[in-house]
Amino acid sequence: MFRRLYLLYGVLVLGSVTFAEYRGWSLDSMNQLKNVPKSVRDNPGSYRSVYSSYHHYTGGK
Amino acid sequence: MSVGQPPLQLPPKPAVKALNCPKCGASITLRALGQAVAVVCTSCHSILDAKDPHLQIIQTFERITSTDAPLIPLGTRGKIRGTDYDVIGFQRRSIKVEGIRYAWHEYVLFNPYKGFRYLTEYQGHWNDVAICKEQPIVDTRFRISLEANYLGEEYKHFQTADATTDFVLGEFPWEVRVGEQATLTDYVHPPRVLSREKTSAEITWSIGEYLPGKDIWSTFHLAGDPPEAIGIYENQPCPVSANIKTLWMTFVGFAVVLCVLMIAFEVHAKREPVFHTSYQMNPGMPAGEASFVTEPFELTGRTSSVEISTSAAVQNNWIYLNYALINQDTGEAWDFGREVSFYSGYDSDGSWSEGAQSDSVVVPSVPAGHYYLRIEPEVDRNHPRIVYTVEVKRDVPVLGFYAIGFLALLIPPIVLTWRSLSFERARWAESDHPPSPILKTESD
Repeated sequence: MFRRLYLLYGVLVLGSVTFAEYRGWSLDSMNQLKNVPKSVRDNPGSYRSVYSSYHHYTGGK
Repeated sequence: MSVGQPPLQLPPKPAVKALNCPKCGASITLRALGQAVAVVCTSCHSILDAKDPHLQIIQTFERITSTDAPLIPLGTRGKIRGTDYDVIGFQRRSIKVEGIRYAWHEYVLFNPYKGFRYLTEYQGHWNDVAICKEQPIVDTRFRISLEANYLGEEYKHFQTADATTDFVLGEFPWEVRVGEQATLTDYVHPPRVLSREKTSAEITWSIGEYLPGKDIWSTFHLAGDPPEAIGIYENQPCPVSANIKTLWMTFVGFAVVLCVLMIAFEVHAKREPVFHTSYQMNPGMPAGEASFVTEPFELTGRTSSVEISTSAAVQNNWIYLNYALINQDTGEAWDFGREVSFYSGYDSDGSWSEGAQSDSVVVPSVPAGHYYLRIEPEVDRNHPRIVYTVEVKRDVPVLGFYAIGFLALLIPPIVLTWRSLSFERARWAESDHPPSPILKTESD
């Protein structure tokens, strides 16, 4: 029974990896937006990035 | 008239005889007449000589020191390995280990054609036991051999202890006595147990096989449920052990398939460059430069991943880029920020470095269309001249999925292996060879 369950589980895992790879999924996180106005092309400053308040690391050792 | 074989010698018919106890007069039924050596009166518990037609008393008691009710009543019939057996005897035996007495029950089963076999029960764990047909092989150089071989199977020594018979009932194929002493040595090879029983008169070897209580209840058509098994018994089979080797072999098969998938996607990935441009930030330019957009570029083919790589010749400095990949046809956008920073130096520990002068990110499932990037770079206030390059490629494989898939495939065999090891540790903790503790505390 364990083997049958593991076979099913393994096929699901391999299927998921194949599907993710084929569909071009990514492990990186990003924000997806809809309906960005076409005016951004002419006026890039009108677009506010959600990442613009990022705190930058200025360290080093 | 034909000359045939001599008539078949049929086994003796089962003989049952009713007698009376010579001590108390209670009726006694002899089910294994002619084969039982001792019979115990169910009323006064006197042990009688079953071979004697007058049932001579072997052992009597002024009072019954202890009583015990068999879970399978005497006279119950059940089919074991295709043969009907009657339960004709019952005894309780015990051993004393570190001042604690551990008791178990033994049932004598009888079939007039097959003879005797036994059932043992300890805290809900049952064993079907028969006398060995061959002498097991043991290392006679030692007082107690650590291994025994029976019919080509290796058994490991589990425990040796002195057992006492505490209570008897029914018929027995030996001259049973309450207070009888024997040294028991058990060797295990789950689900079997090989037992050596040494008395002053003889050495007997028996082979037992673990049975779940529900099988016993079903075999003897007993009412209710069997007592729940407590703990792990010496020859109890681990429920997962049998699957571990198969599971690991299946895992290897899956890992191979995963490698083949990875190679196939690596080989067939287009990694098609669709955009490549360099930019620079000169000293004196504002730290938060105004955003700009790139020239449009086209993504063709099926929906796929898009990799955006940034490389910048930063040295003890950083550049941060707010990106937006925008589909100019549909207005759909992916918004993300990436930092390229690299620091290096030399201190008392030697040279050091951290960060990298390049970075890449994969945008998921981007459909075909016309796209452009909106880029908003940020740098340190006192930045030197920084040149950075932005490159876009479509259909790039993500190796992280294979790592996740590999780990996901690894979890079940590891969990089952751990469960099996824990089970074996619990089993052997009760033996004469307990495993050493995994973690030792200071108090140990």
